[in-house]
Amino acid sequence: MSANSMSDPRRPNKVLRYKPPPSECNPALDDPTPDYMNLLGMIFSMCGLMLKLKWCAWVAVYCSFISFANSRSSEDTKQMMSSFMLSISAVVMSYLQNPQPMTPPW
Amino acid sequence: MKGFHAFCVVLLIFGSVSEAKFDDFEDEEDIVEYDDNDFAEFEDVAEDSATESPQRVITTEDDEDETTVELEGQDESQEGDFEDADTQEGDTESEPYDDEEFEGYEDKPDTSSSKSKDPITIVDVPAHLQNSWESYYLEILMVTGLLAYIMNYIIGKNKNSRLAQAWFNTHRELLESNFTLVGDDGTNKEATSTGKLNQENEHIYNLWCSGRVCCEGMLIQLRFLKKQDLLNVLARMMRPVSDQVQIKVTMNDEDMDTYVFAVGTRKALVRLQKEMQDLSEFCSDKPKSGAKYGLPDSLAILSEMGEVTDGMMDTKMLHFLTHYADKIESIHFSDQFSGPKILQEEGQPLKLPDTKRTLLFTFNVPGSGNTYPKDMEALLPLMNMVIYSTDKAKKFRLNREGKQKADKNRARVEENFLKLTHVQRQEAAQSRWEEKKRAEKERIMNEEDPEKQRRLEEAALRCEQKKLEKKQMKMKQIKVKAM
Repeated sequence: MSANSMSDPRRPNKVLRYKPPPSECNPALDDPTPDYMNLLGMIFSMCGLMLKLKWCAWVAVYCSFISFANSRSSEDTKQMMSSFMLSISAVVMSYLQNPQPMTPPW
Repeated sequence: MKGFHAFCVVLLIFGSVSEAKFDDFEDEEDIVEYDDNDFAEFEDVAEDSATESPQRVITTEDDEDETTVELEGQDESQEGDFEDADTQEGDTESEPYDDEEFEGYEDKPDTSSSKSKDPITIVDVPAHLQNSWESYYLEILMVTGLLAYIMNYIIGKNKNSRLAQAWFNTHRELLESNFTLVGDDGTNKEATSTGKLNQENEHIYNLWCSGRVCCEGMLIQLRFLKKQDLLNVLARMMRPVSDQVQIKVTMNDEDMDTYVFAVGTRKALVRLQKEMQDLSEFCSDKPKSGAKYGLPDSLAILSEMGEVTDGMMDTKMLHFLTHYADKIESIHFSDQFSGPKILQEEGQPLKLPDTKRTLLFTFNVPGSGNTYPKDMEALLPLMNMVIYSTDKAKKFRLNREGKQKADKNRARVEENFLKLTHVQRQEAAQSRWEEKKRAEKERIMNEEDPEKQRRLEEAALRCEQKKLEKKQMKMKQIKVKAM
């Protein structure tokens, strides 16, 4: 049966299911931003906690927000939540230990 | 019961009031009470010292303390008024005491007054003792920034969602008239149309359509800009980028001939030529201008052979390309499509990547980032072009010469690939053979029956001998040939 413009081009017998693209090629193509930001966020929050640097803790909060905004829907929310909680705790701990306001570096 | 209730309420109120009083007592007025008691004993002395000592304090302490202290002084002076007669008498009587008592005090007033004559250096109260919100301006700035980010996230997400929905509403009819299955996420047991987009991200939406002549299926990807990320929004202010719609039509093997062809903006084609495996191998020339066919200057062509270009550039296609040139980023038809070049760490891959007959379209949404839902209607003619191209690809066949050329090209590419990987393949074969031998030896060792063991060992020895003989024969043949 030829598919001319008059007849219906649809073929119900030729339906193929959607297969998500294989994951091995995806990580290279995918945007690495959420992973980098997650890692940066964790590093900054550890710095903020250990070295008692307030600005580190604030940057960590920003990093975890950016990572969340760029994340894929298939990604684990637990990872996001844990980095977010860590950065918030870094900020809180810095202020509990030293309630002074943050001084700008300049 | 009511009475009891009222009594409890009264008790509570009384308790809270007394607690409040206690609070007052905790701080400065503790001292006031003690001072009052002290001053009660030594009325005139206490009065004077009371009035003097706060004054001394005034010069060096905070305003708050000042006010309270002054009040104290006033209170005491009021008390003193009542006892005027007594104080006067007290004064005359205790004068000698006053002198002696005030000896130290006279010095103090002297020194304090001399101090007051010297310039006072007012030290700034450290920030953390200031108790004002202004000193925390950096924190307030940070929180404001975070709030701005969250606001932008919500707004951006909603915008992308509305754009995706607008696109789908515009194109739904055309897609449903061409495909049996419109919308599938692969999770349902039965192949039924979900009739909606799959959201991969806050800025990427997928749609899978299938069930048509010529093609296996069509995957549409709406790649919007990251409007939900404030950093991205700020970066895009420097460098305007467009939202994109990518369409990938997977053709049936029998419905497309063997050729590689691409048309698009020059910049896009140069990039694709570098990145894509098939374009780099089969279309080695630089992108050519399409002016010969009447295409605008912004578009260029990459083709495996001239016949393909001639065949592809028919009137209708040219009409589409010229009218919608500003929205076309790239169009790529290929029977050897395998995606971008895979850069492996251990050198070349050992096997040629799997290829699929594919038609790829990348369109730019008008608006250059500032897209509105109504702009999606402008993309509908492009979808018509996609459908037309699919049908055309099925109809277009190379002539005999073209087919020969194409086959030669493919054979050449394969040969090159094999040459490059020859060493690796040899090593792989060697390791496989060694692995096999080792397995055999293990089997022999594990064999419990000694008879069987002996027989297997003999068989292995014989095999090895045969191989050696073969090799020797080959070497002899090569020597004879060389001679």
